Amino acid sequence: MSDKTSRHHVAFYLNGELTRVQGDDAFMMLAEWLRKRALRTGTKIVCAEGDCGACTILRAFEPTNSSKKPTFMSMNSCIATVAQMDGSHLVTVEGLEVNGELAPAQAAMRVCHGSQCGYCTPGFVMALSGALEVKTHLDRKTAANYTTGNLCRCTGYSPILDAAEKAKASETHNLSKRYLTNQNLQQLKKEIKLPVLLSDTQGRLFSAPMRLQDACKFCAKHKDTRMVAATTDLGVQTNKGRPLPKHLLSLQNIPELYEISTSKTSLVVGARASLSRLRKATEKRIPEFSKFLDLFASPQIKNVATLVGNLANASPIGDTIPFLLASDAVVHAAKFSAGKVIKRKIPITEFFLGYKKLSLKAGEFITAVEIPLTSQTTSIKLFKTSQRKDLDISAVSAALSIETSKSGDIKNAALAFGGIAATPVRIHKLETFLVGKPMTQKLLDRALDLLNDEIHPISDVRGTGAFRRVLVHQLFSKYIHEHFAMGGSA
Amino acid sequence: MTTPTKSHQDTSASLPHDSSLTHVTGQSEYVDDRTMLPGELFVGCFYSKVAHAEIKKLDVSKASQVAGVACIVTAKDVHHNAWGPIFQDQPIIADKVTWFAGEVLAVVGASSPESLREALNAISVEYKPLPSVMNITDAIAKKSFIGSERFIRRGNADQALTSAPNRLSGKLVIQGADHFYLENQGAVAYPKEQGQMEVHSSTQHPTETQHTVAHALGVNFSDVVCVVKRLGGGFGGKESQASPIAAYAALVAAKARRPARIVLTKDDDMIMTGKRNPFEIHYEVGFDGKGKILALRSRLYSDGGAYADLSTAIMERAMLHSDNAYYIPHVEVIGQVCKLNYHPHTAFRGFGGPKGVAAIEGVIEDIARELKMDALDIRKANVYRAGWDVTHYGQTVENNMLPLLFDELEVSADYRHRRQEITAHNEKALKATNCFSEDVQYIRGLSMTAVKFGISFTTRFLNQGNALVNIHRDGSVQVSTGAVEMGQGVNTRIGMLVAEELGLSMDKIRVMSTSTEKNANTSPTAASTGTDINGAAAWIAARRLKERLASLALQLSHTWNDAWPSKTAGLGTAPEIDIKKIPYDEALAKTTFENNEVRVTGSNFKIAFADLVVEAYLNRTSLGEYGFHKTENLGFDKLKGQGQAFHYFTQGTAVSEVEINRLTGEIKVRRVDILMDLGRPINEGLDLGQVTGAFVQGMGWVTTENLVYNKEGLLLSHSPSTYKIPSVQDTPRIFNVKLAHNNDNVVNIRGTKAVGEPPLLLSLSVWTAVKDAIRYASEIDKSIMDFNRQHSLTIPATAERTLRHLSPALFARFESVKE
Repeated sequence: MSDKTSRHHVAFYLNGELTRVQGDDAFMMLAEWLRKRALRTGTKIVCAEGDCGACTILRAFEPTNSSKKPTFMSMNSCIATVAQMDGSHLVTVEGLEVNGELAPAQAAMRVCHGSQCGYCTPGFVMALSGALEVKTHLDRKTAANYTTGNLCRCTGYSPILDAAEKAKASETHNLSKRYLTNQNLQQLKKEIKLPVLLSDTQGRLFSAPMRLQDACKFCAKHKDTRMVAATTDLGVQTNKGRPLPKHLLSLQNIPELYEISTSKTSLVVGARASLSRLRKATEKRIPEFSKFLDLFASPQIKNVATLVGNLANASPIGDTIPFLLASDAVVHAAKFSAGKVIKRKIPITEFFLGYKKLSLKAGEFITAVEIPLTSQTTSIKLFKTSQRKDLDISAVSAALSIETSKSGDIKNAALAFGGIAATPVRIHKLETFLVGKPMTQKLLDRALDLLNDEIHPISDVRGTGAFRRVLVHQLFSKYIHEHFAMGGSA
Repeated sequence: MTTPTKSHQDTSASLPHDSSLTHVTGQSEYVDDRTMLPGELFVGCFYSKVAHAEIKKLDVSKASQVAGVACIVTAKDVHHNAWGPIFQDQPIIADKVTWFAGEVLAVVGASSPESLREALNAISVEYKPLPSVMNITDAIAKKSFIGSERFIRRGNADQALTSAPNRLSGKLVIQGADHFYLENQGAVAYPKEQGQMEVHSSTQHPTETQHTVAHALGVNFSDVVCVVKRLGGGFGGKESQASPIAAYAALVAAKARRPARIVLTKDDDMIMTGKRNPFEIHYEVGFDGKGKILALRSRLYSDGGAYADLSTAIMERAMLHSDNAYYIPHVEVIGQVCKLNYHPHTAFRGFGGPKGVAAIEGVIEDIARELKMDALDIRKANVYRAGWDVTHYGQTVENNMLPLLFDELEVSADYRHRRQEITAHNEKALKATNCFSEDVQYIRGLSMTAVKFGISFTTRFLNQGNALVNIHRDGSVQVSTGAVEMGQGVNTRIGMLVAEELGLSMDKIRVMSTSTEKNANTSPTAASTGTDINGAAAWIAARRLKERLASLALQLSHTWNDAWPSKTAGLGTAPEIDIKKIPYDEALAKTTFENNEVRVTGSNFKIAFADLVVEAYLNRTSLGEYGFHKTENLGFDKLKGQGQAFHYFTQGTAVSEVEINRLTGEIKVRRVDILMDLGRPINEGLDLGQVTGAFVQGMGWVTTENLVYNKEGLLLSHSPSTYKIPSVQDTPRIFNVKLAHNNDNVVNIRGTKAVGEPPLLLSLSVWTAVKDAIRYASEIDKSIMDFNRQHSLTIPATAERTLRHLSPALFARFESVKE
């Protein structure tokens, strides 16, 4: 491609300064780049896997076709590459003060002893500042929800929550007003008009085309293309010693993929739609799922990570997958073949072939997930258990939906579990067994035995196999008891 | 000099931490924030993946060919390859044998992180496996021990146990915990001329780091300077184990003649460095029908890991705290550190204290279960009080606040009323036919525990400190001590002590980086003694400066202004004032240092502190002072297990209420009330932060923090995705912390009490509250009772373990299923 058809750098605003990055630097993790290249050492790296929030910065981004003014939201800068920041407005802890006057979160953290050793402090300050972009003040619960992704080992958190309560949003320090000026917004739009194609000295390529068709072509050309969403997993692997793949493709500059479109019968979630947006989009239509997303990951992760990313990563404990399985979701995929884009729909139940193995063909990638808005979907109950309530990977998760006919017989059952096999699975044998029968204690006992036979949990860092079996037993029993009002609290 | 216990100026105000401004703006400098110099190398470690093996061959030839690799350091490059805080039994870099997975075998210096990674991957090693010891039971059987068995005895435990109306025995398993300081271990080494080395390290013990680096390089101690600006958390994890890390950077720097920086990843840090010692405590307790404990026999075994590190001292503190807040007439406590093939375990906030205390507090819950009594009544029946105030090691508990702390908190936490509510709630839930509906899915537990934490290093010689105080000619003051600032606010407190003594506002005081160049032969900032020891030394220095300035001020007040040094010194037109002419006590008595001014009592004379300092300089009066402090009246005979082990005790009580999800075992801490006796705090805000922070840190240890190893002893839960420290959502929903009023701790600087560690031990109330909740279930279901009589609830009480104690039958059913 010639220079006129692509860009060999990415562009973003950092604390109000237009910044262009190219070459090797663009392939660095953002936190590393901030610390080593931009010399903004306020951003700390602790776990390098997006679990501690010490690297939290704020990012404002909207796709180019959007007329909405972007909002600053927290993200982990340790597991995203610089390249992914194209078209973004970023603020680090160094960008909060105005003429030497501390921002509200900073001033409050100071006087409330919200900081001891100071290492997690910039991350907390950023998360709280992000909250104060959209709220005038914070109660303890709200503040906790905005800082679920930030770990502190010194304070016991209560001084931090004291600070959060004390901090009030200030006009002077409003980041949106300061940094998202019309001039900055317009200037950045001009900067990012061409598709991105970056290369480093190791011969790596990072492509962020502006049309789906070009993305498909890149995939067809480079068979080993690795799709990049929010790199919440790839970034971790890179930080932990596995070099970045040779060919990286990001759909970040394709505006239509950010869409979540709702019809009467389904919800189509584009590959780039973040979990935060999905949470909002499902608030009314699938409240159970929306609520579930509150427990899923941290705000920093949800603000960038996508449903499609969670699906494509195919982890046995991917938290959204049991839901997609139980709702009979449909995967939309695309590839380039014989000179054109070929689109395909794959039922989710046929999507997982084995541990981290998907039924995608060479050069094919996911463009969206379609969630049918049937009574089966809307009646799903979701369960997740882990050692720590919030922001912990599940030991076991479940998505359970049973519908009964007027006669009381079970008409339809969709029962999916995570953490009990190499991939999250539907327990079809159990579903078939239940359909056509009325629920009784005796049937439940037999169902529990059958369920126990059908699952194959292993012992690992998050619990023993026996613990997982007990959990499956308990969760399923609870669901049945509640669903069929079988009583028990007499 | 006697230390002041009353002040003329109220500095107990909750001034913000002296680094708070730079903390919130991201300007605070930590080791890895230092600007990289041209040519500076990235340093990384290649470590063993096996428990115990002979190293047949270590091949670094491929690694040394990797572009950008400047040097590779192995055991043969280390001048004196042995270190250790008590015994020098640990190689800095393992030579022929590796004793644990995570032990460093080679160190690489490279010009970029990428080359470093590539080089580390290119190193290969051949092992010949040797027999390993992976659990305490096995270690006992094989007599794989570190150090000798220690004991503390009083009375006749055997006889008292035999004659006791009731007895209980059992084994408590306590797991380790990772420090999870946010700032990972790290150091930067700068080679200087003539073989000297300047090391900036994230260490709690600059002196030991200096010595270890010097040993590694084969240079004099005087050729190494260790500088510590601040730590992003330490918690004991950087007391000993920061030293070899700094040595790695120094070895590379010395060999390559380039600056070298090592910053471990969280994963490597967790895999390489030791944890809180795991313990197994075999106990037998005798008690009467009213819950009075008559005798305790306790055998403590700890997993020391592969090398001694601080484990013997940790064991000692565990034994000394086996009584906790309770007077037990007949006691036998025996302790033995075991040698296992894990990373060498080390100091962690509370040292051995939490382990000794866990056993006795857990035992009390079990006695309560057996006697069907409220555990609080048992605690109150046994608490140290007048007449019952001598510990099993023969030290009298002076200035004892424990009975009062129990009584006051019982009322302010509304204990009895909540007990009734919880009992009613639990009975309803447990009597339901199943636990599947929301209203019966949760049961609750309530428990009050105490702490009586001995303050002092149990090793007498460590209880010494020094400080350097320099007054500059604008009246501003620099204070340097051996204390390391790691978030606890030791610098702020020391600054406040000096400010108070010299009558200065805090903006005139700067507490400087800790450096072995200014303060040598220091003790680690540990054992909660940072402020006590270093603050006292700084106060002594400040006091001496004040004496001279007071004398000068008093004499100036009688001296015609034209004869002052500022008018005469330049031309030499008047003799110098003799500072020693007035006895210092008299000078101090007649002057007041306040509000940056010095006044002479009974006259109108006053002079700005800064002006007085100029007069003093021109009068050739020393404006620098070195203070030395040692803690008096300590004398614990380790071999006899008797004596004055501690300077004083910090005490406190806590009530925790937990809610347990009977379906999943998940624990939620609903409410915590804490009452601490911290004497007369220097800075209440900082102290309260220590209390909430230590408590929540301890909560993690007793609930969610689960270390999981593979069979080679390689840590598997080595990052926050698998190792779960408390998050903001785990902090107690209601969290009341109060300080008791106590102005009588006259033995310590300014009447204050140390705070760093003691509140962590109160987090055991969360664990005992879980036990309390399980007790309710035991009373309803015999299978649960039987299981709980046979098995003590392990620390941490993870969701899985808690559920197992609540539903043993269910686990038994699924345990048999093959994976």
